[in-house]
Amino acid sequence: MDGPLPLVLIYGSLAFAAVVLGYVALARTPDWGLLGFAGVLELGALVLLVVAGVQVGDADLSGAGTVTLFGYLLAGLVLLPIGFAWSLAERSRGATAVLAVVGLTEAFVVLRALQVWQQ
Amino acid sequence: MSSSLSSTRSGPGRVLVAIYGVFALAATARSLVQLVTKADEAPLAYALSALAGVVYIAATLGLAEIGPQPRRLAWVAVGFELVGVLTIGTLTVLDPELFPDATVWSAYGAGYGWLPLVLPFAGIAWLIRTRPRG
Repeated sequence: MDGPLPLVLIYGSLAFAAVVLGYVALARTPDWGLLGFAGVLELGALVLLVVAGVQVGDADLSGAGTVTLFGYLLAGLVLLPIGFAWSLAERSRGATAVLAVVGLTEAFVVLRALQVWQQ
Repeated sequence: MSSSLSSTRSGPGRVLVAIYGVFALAATARSLVQLVTKADEAPLAYALSALAGVVYIAATLGLAEIGPQPRRLAWVAVGFELVGVLTIGTLTVLDPELFPDATVWSAYGAGYGWLPLVLPFAGIAWLIRTRPRG
């Protein structure tokens, strides 16, 4: 959590949302490239969860802070698969735009996890 | 790229369901943590946030057309949400010290980028737009 990974994940998620909005503007449906991008973000979210699990013992967090931290990190882990499942069930601009919501939310939950960690 | 205009879960409705889903998760999880760890600090505010979470869950299920009579569920949930955000929003703007801690609907959802104020209007507009014809 103290390294660059959270920030990389935040900016990566925002970039993912921007790319998705480009897809929406061009009326393109999600492809393997977008899925690969999301896969990298998912891997990053998983690594972040493991890193937090390893480092949390040395952090000065209250019980509520620890619960909140892992709540955000677990949300970050499940957002992408659930969002993709909801998006890919239909082919429409609206369905593709769901992935932009997922990207923005992913960035937000990682940012909140980082803020909880740094409190 | 086609969508059925009588379905609340198709086309733009899919984004709306996703946003409601995020709010359902956020409001419910946050209020649960608050109620479990520090309920005595602001019990009414945390209970109101939990109620908001339930309303968002109901709206998500209704708009996603899950369960019996989903359109009716969506109308009730979104209507309740509108009344809630306007009532709590007005009360907390008139008296910012009303609650020791903020709720999702405090100051019309200013803490959440005013999305809690925009969402019920978007939900109602979408329910009207997709109402069954004939």
